[in-house]
Amino acid sequence: MSITAETAKEHANDPAVLCCRAEEGITIQASNLEDPAIFDDLVDSGLLDLEGALTIEQVLGATLTKTCDSLCPLTADVVEGAKAAAAPEKAAEEAAEPAPAVPAAPQAAVGPGQVLRIHIGEGKDIDIELPVGLANISAPTPAGVPGVIPALAADTEVQETNEEKIVRTLTRKHYKITEVKRGPETKIEGTTLYIREGIEKECVDSQELVFDLKIDIITPEDYHTYSETIMDVQPIACKEGEDEVGSGTTRVLDGVIMMVTGTDANGVQIGEFGSSEGYLDENIMWNRPGAPDKGEIFIKTQVTIKEGTNMERPGPLAAHTATDHITQEIREALKELENDSLVVDTETFDQVRRPGKKKVVIVKEIMGQGAMHDNLILPVEPVGVLGAKPNVDLGNVPVCVSPLEVLDGCIHALTCIGPASKEMSRHYWREPLVLEALHDPEVDLCGVIFVGSPQINSEKFYVSKRVGMMVEMMDVDGAFVTTEGFGNNHIDFASHHEQIGMRGIPVVGMSFCAVQGALVVGNKYMTNMVDNNKSESGIENEVLACNTLCHEDAIRALAMLKNAMAGEEVKTAERKWNPNVKGTNVELISNVTGKPIELAKNEQSLPMSQKRKEKYD
Amino acid sequence: MKELKYGDKIIRMEGVIIEVHDGCAGIDLKGRLGYLKVPMRMLITDYPLAVGQEVAWNMSFVEQLGPEVNDKYVSNLDTYNRNQKEMRKTNAENKEAEE
Repeated sequence: MSITAETAKEHANDPAVLCCRAEEGITIQASNLEDPAIFDDLVDSGLLDLEGALTIEQVLGATLTKTCDSLCPLTADVVEGAKAAAAPEKAAEEAAEPAPAVPAAPQAAVGPGQVLRIHIGEGKDIDIELPVGLANISAPTPAGVPGVIPALAADTEVQETNEEKIVRTLTRKHYKITEVKRGPETKIEGTTLYIREGIEKECVDSQELVFDLKIDIITPEDYHTYSETIMDVQPIACKEGEDEVGSGTTRVLDGVIMMVTGTDANGVQIGEFGSSEGYLDENIMWNRPGAPDKGEIFIKTQVTIKEGTNMERPGPLAAHTATDHITQEIREALKELENDSLVVDTETFDQVRRPGKKKVVIVKEIMGQGAMHDNLILPVEPVGVLGAKPNVDLGNVPVCVSPLEVLDGCIHALTCIGPASKEMSRHYWREPLVLEALHDPEVDLCGVIFVGSPQINSEKFYVSKRVGMMVEMMDVDGAFVTTEGFGNNHIDFASHHEQIGMRGIPVVGMSFCAVQGALVVGNKYMTNMVDNNKSESGIENEVLACNTLCHEDAIRALAMLKNAMAGEEVKTAERKWNPNVKGTNVELISNVTGKPIELAKNEQSLPMSQKRKEKYD
Repeated sequence: MKELKYGDKIIRMEGVIIEVHDGCAGIDLKGRLGYLKVPMRMLITDYPLAVGQEVAWNMSFVEQLGPEVNDKYVSNLDTYNRNQKEMRKTNAENKEAEE
């Protein structure tokens, strides 16, 4: 297919190839040329050889000296009047190392406000000499380091007059639990949590669709037991007094979590596709934001719901609600604790606004296709059920929340398929991107937008346009768009990029992609991407929360957005997934910040049968 | 990860939607070539889903990765099937008792 003059300009340095047969003597125009976007496939399959091909910029306006067929690369021997070879920068670019997504951009700053900027997209053996008159400049950043950090540092000095403002504060009081027992009543005594015997019956009775509910208390010694698919992992927390989610004081139990599992009455998994059933210790990626930490006690419910409802919306919801009956009783017991002598740790989260700094927003796409692809938004208690609205019922439209509401459990996730990439309720409780952006003194995080991902395309675009409008009104300088899992949600993910990008706002996307979750669609605004993959072979490895957004990804995304906001270009991704890109970027970032970034472990650290290892990795 | 030998031999498959649930859809492959049940997220839809709609996708043939049997999966499957059998039985008995 021929290209437009505009596309030709964008691809000025790409090889020129005829899109269709062209006669001798014609003047070559954009309409004679093929779109370079498809070349990689053609080269891979051997249909095209680009050796010696001139660039589009060179051939435009030149004369063809020989009649050529379609898909014929234009080389010097068939073209007359081609322009001189492109700038030598191009050659340097090709010779460069495998692409880091954050560009190597050495920069030298000349004091606040007045900046001498030397931008080199990518290069090798480049000597820069400056007149001695400029000797008062600070030492240039070592080459191969994202250049934006010093620029922002300079910014900081200028903006010092703008004071930070604390909008609201959230305090988390931690209560340590070392033992969970059954007893005549639900209570907390010292570090022991008692769960009332017979509470199961009330859970069952509370939900028409729930036929049975079993509670298993899993201690670290019992990690090697079989479990049905893990539907959710939740913190056990309650608000103090009349406080609301997102502010005031929250009490949380440490060392123990709720875990929802279940089947329908015929023994079919709820959710059916999320195959994390099996031995717990082989299926959980410990210490991920959404997963249990190694050493924690699980209060695991195994809920049996009416046969055939496992794939209908009321089914998974009933299983969650029945489990929440227990959690709610623990919350009541936690609320009743009168003295603070049992508090082992107190954490304070300030929602800080930093006027004058780059204003950013986080758009989190959550699932909204129905059934277990649903989320309860803003319950009364952290990760509760009561008072919350399912985002499917809200029409999946964007909902604005404060960063502290996210960290205080405003999302009760019904969590969908794909154990490795789904975001559990606990994930939001420890959301790394929100935490990083909130604590970063160089950006002003204005809020978080949750937007559902509906099933039908027209609805996807409907909600996506609302996201665009909302972000426009916020007047932000940059945006993050994150999504969980992969599938048709990547269509709205792409659309969110477009809606935000077309308003001139730099946007960084975060998703699990790698090999298996490769994006189904794309657009010209999707240039800055962070892959959440951690698995060795880049696939859905059936290990709970393995490929979810972690601290290291949050740091990469923040660094990338800062680069994008400073106008740096991020290098195009390679055609095939290359895990080294991440490694290089992480190294670049830690070189600049001086802080080593510890990478999260992946499934290789878990006990695994030798055979599975052979097959998958 | 083992490379596929025939992974690039992509063929167009067509099917008919025969089940629609809130969370998934069941598809019969035309020509009795099989049955596919996929979660909603793996379906790209421009219109509301309905039984009888035709769908199409590209796929390659399914290749074995090797002759080995993965004991973990066998054990999980055994447990799962055994549980399912027991639960079906209990469920049927409960139903009878109710009637």
